[in-house]
Amino acid sequence: MPTKATTKKAAAKKAPAKKPATKKVSAAPKKMQETTFRIKRGTVVNGVLQQKDQEFKVRFDEATTVLMGLEQVKGEQDGTLTFRRSCRASICGSCGMFINNRSRLACKTKITDIMQGNKDKNIAQAEDGVVEISPQLNQPVLKDLVVDIEPFYQKVRGITPYVQEGKEKDEEVNKASYEQVNMVSNCIMCGACYSDCTAMVENPNFIGPAALAKAYRFVADPREGKKTQRLKELSEKNGIWDCTRCGMCVDACPKDVAPMEAIVKLRGKAIDHGVTNNSGARHALSFKKDIASWGLLNEPFMMLRTKGLFGSLGQLGNAFNLFKKGKIPNPLPFDHKVKGLDEVKAIYKELEKNPISVETRAEDSGPGAG
Amino acid sequence: MKQHDLLIVGAGLAGLRAAFEGITAGLSTAVITKVHPLRSHSCAAQGGVNAAINPQDNWEDHAFDTVKGADYIGDQDSIELMCSEAPQAVLDLDAMGAPFSREDDGSIAQRAFGGQNFPRTAYAADRTGHAMLHTLWEQAIKNGVHVYDEYYLMEITTAGEGADKRASGAIGMDIRSGELHQFNAKAVLVATGGFGRIFASNTNAMICTGDGIAAAMRAGAPAADLEMVQFHPTGLKSSGILISEGVRGEGAYLIGKDGKRFMDKYAPNKKELASRDVVSRSEMTEILNGNGVDGCVFLDVRHLGRDLILEKLPQIRQLSIDFEGVDPIDEPIPIKPTCHYTMGGIRTDKLGQSTELMGLFSAGEASCVSVHGANRLGANSLLETIVFGKITGKEMVRFIQEEGAKRPESSADDLAAQQQRIAAIKARPKQGHVRQEDIRRELTECMNENCSVFRDEKRLNLSLKAVEKAKKDYAKMYIDDKTDGFNTDLVTALELNSMIILAEGTVRAALERKESRGAHTREEFPDRDDDNWMVHITCHWDTKKQAVTLGRDPVRTVDNPRYVPQERKY
Repeated sequence: MPTKATTKKAAAKKAPAKKPATKKVSAAPKKMQETTFRIKRGTVVNGVLQQKDQEFKVRFDEATTVLMGLEQVKGEQDGTLTFRRSCRASICGSCGMFINNRSRLACKTKITDIMQGNKDKNIAQAEDGVVEISPQLNQPVLKDLVVDIEPFYQKVRGITPYVQEGKEKDEEVNKASYEQVNMVSNCIMCGACYSDCTAMVENPNFIGPAALAKAYRFVADPREGKKTQRLKELSEKNGIWDCTRCGMCVDACPKDVAPMEAIVKLRGKAIDHGVTNNSGARHALSFKKDIASWGLLNEPFMMLRTKGLFGSLGQLGNAFNLFKKGKIPNPLPFDHKVKGLDEVKAIYKELEKNPISVETRAEDSGPGAG
Repeated sequence: MKQHDLLIVGAGLAGLRAAFEGITAGLSTAVITKVHPLRSHSCAAQGGVNAAINPQDNWEDHAFDTVKGADYIGDQDSIELMCSEAPQAVLDLDAMGAPFSREDDGSIAQRAFGGQNFPRTAYAADRTGHAMLHTLWEQAIKNGVHVYDEYYLMEITTAGEGADKRASGAIGMDIRSGELHQFNAKAVLVATGGFGRIFASNTNAMICTGDGIAAAMRAGAPAADLEMVQFHPTGLKSSGILISEGVRGEGAYLIGKDGKRFMDKYAPNKKELASRDVVSRSEMTEILNGNGVDGCVFLDVRHLGRDLILEKLPQIRQLSIDFEGVDPIDEPIPIKPTCHYTMGGIRTDKLGQSTELMGLFSAGEASCVSVHGANRLGANSLLETIVFGKITGKEMVRFIQEEGAKRPESSADDLAAQQQRIAAIKARPKQGHVRQEDIRRELTECMNENCSVFRDEKRLNLSLKAVEKAKKDYAKMYIDDKTDGFNTDLVTALELNSMIILAEGTVRAALERKESRGAHTREEFPDRDDDNWMVHITCHWDTKKQAVTLGRDPVRTVDNPRYVPQERKY
């Protein structure tokens, strides 16, 4: 489950209305401490990236962010240190970088949180007390902490990122539909989700979490006229069904957009709109059918339904290897019945009568398994 | 050489809105921007955009509030244009897909903002600028605007002399490669935003260095109202990061060390929602009178309750937790007046063309079409960007089709001059030279100390000295990075040049204006002096002297008895 500040604070007590100015501000002047930044420097020489670590000493107090530390290094010690930055307030998305094992915004990450760890913010304590900074992943490095953002934006441009006229436009807009739009329109295109996406490592052509979240924004927008066409395009190769639902994007996102949630919702909407003629949807539907009928998965049949006969033939070698290692218990279907199958069927029946709405807010639904 | 019809510098709201007009009119439209469009500072605007959409409201009241808020040196023709066009400009954005927050009946929701007599601020949660910017960027993609991402504006070029002189394009540096490119165009729009970074404590993004205004001044287009700098009443204590006025619109209190509200002393009717100059001065007075803690007072939302805070102010709460370590549900937020907005900019006529350089246009914070005069009302800045982005865009299209139809020539000498400028900076060794960070720190700290909410001649003279020193030091400045590709050391060094020019204009104009009006408070001249100072002070760059010289430009008025100057009470 992703950790969210909003839910974490749910138990926070409401303070009395008239409390004199607080401890925070009357505290003695902050003490300056010193830490080490270990920064992965990089230059491209004759088309080849050369990287090496370099360490800098940085002064900090409880309000110092990693970005302030970087500015300190650049201003006072080494002007050649190169990174993007602008707003300082986690709204422009410039300073995405890889900081202690995760993509983060340098302007939003406090040095004390790295040094001491901060469970609320999902930050682990730095093991050797060093702030380690390297460029975002899944993108070519141009210099030091600067990556080439063009491939990322190419994919965003690829999802037709604007409201289109068309038959499916609702003339009426309402508050609830806007909540769906708002959930993902919090995205600042910082690239953190793209950097930490594990599906991207396997398939660099995967559209990626940010662009898909942006796509959801249009599918959910009542003013959008071509919702089904969008869902068809998004169901193609490299689209919504390529996500492995690992949840890394949810953890990396500095704005609580939960891109994977948007992808899951797109899948549901695609099936609702009858966009099922693709292997992703067929896989999901077959999965559902097996469980509903037998209470367990039948891999060979699922394969046939997902990939078709010819597609499945290509997987025979793979299947044989799995069988040899005991990963496919019995290739013959209808072998045994699952205990409590009636209960499984009852759950499905109930769900069909009262379907779970995909129109939930990100905070309300967990990432699910798989 | 890259040729376009319209060249727009800056890809924030004003620039992209103008680009929309150019491209949909079928003209070759290009935007150069030193950061990716979505990184533009427009994205940081939280609160909203004013427009008299509600049938019970009317644009004339909006115009009156703006004239009064501007302390009577806003240009009344521009203000009437902006306020009357506001509803359509907002509806345009809505139609393009901007997700404005809704009322239960589906209509666009509006909230109260400071200095206005009606809740006329439309918003998209507390990320209005962000939502609008993403929408206009989407439109730029849809319509095929040519965007040169990460190109730094080196200079605006001109062709011809005397009355024939006109803007001919710009020199831009492709930051990625370090290569210089010459852009030739029939009309040039400067939409590069403000220059709040000349003050050490500010709410601005680090890119807000006024490059476009400085380049326009060097090209011969004067700036105006540079002394009018808005200090926002609620910048976070440690970082200066902005807490939106929308928070006070939702009912937040300002309290001092004693835990009591103090605004009723200064603005008995509007209290916390008086106009920004009034609230900032009140806070400074409280702090100077010992009712502050560590140089700040507090913004208190605890009485609004957890649910309202989470629903309407989620981002504000997050900023406060992230950057101040204070959860506003439990504790008041420490805040202080912080440089936020520069009312001044390139002096233009009502439709956005420079008053002195033909073919050069400006819109948004970079411009001084002067809808803000001496003090801007909250949520009028986003409005200015979309109204004048649109109007100036249309005017540029007309200019290109009529008197500006003949393409001006660009000279290769202009490119060579910029190459030399960069080479000279890179050639200076560290030994015996000055580090750019030292120049920047000294200048911005002095501006903060001596040229901010309260000003007097003695302190302004200290600021002027700091400017003179910065100019001398700049001529001896070295940079560490001598490479070509992605040289951000060089970019910030070039930005520093813009900052020095604008700091000089700000200080000289502030010394010149011997009265108190709007955001400009001279302690030795506490009253507004309408007999002598109902006028804009203009700032010109004198190439020979390498210094700012001053002039005057009348306030444009319209015949309306409501606009007769009165004492401003809130």
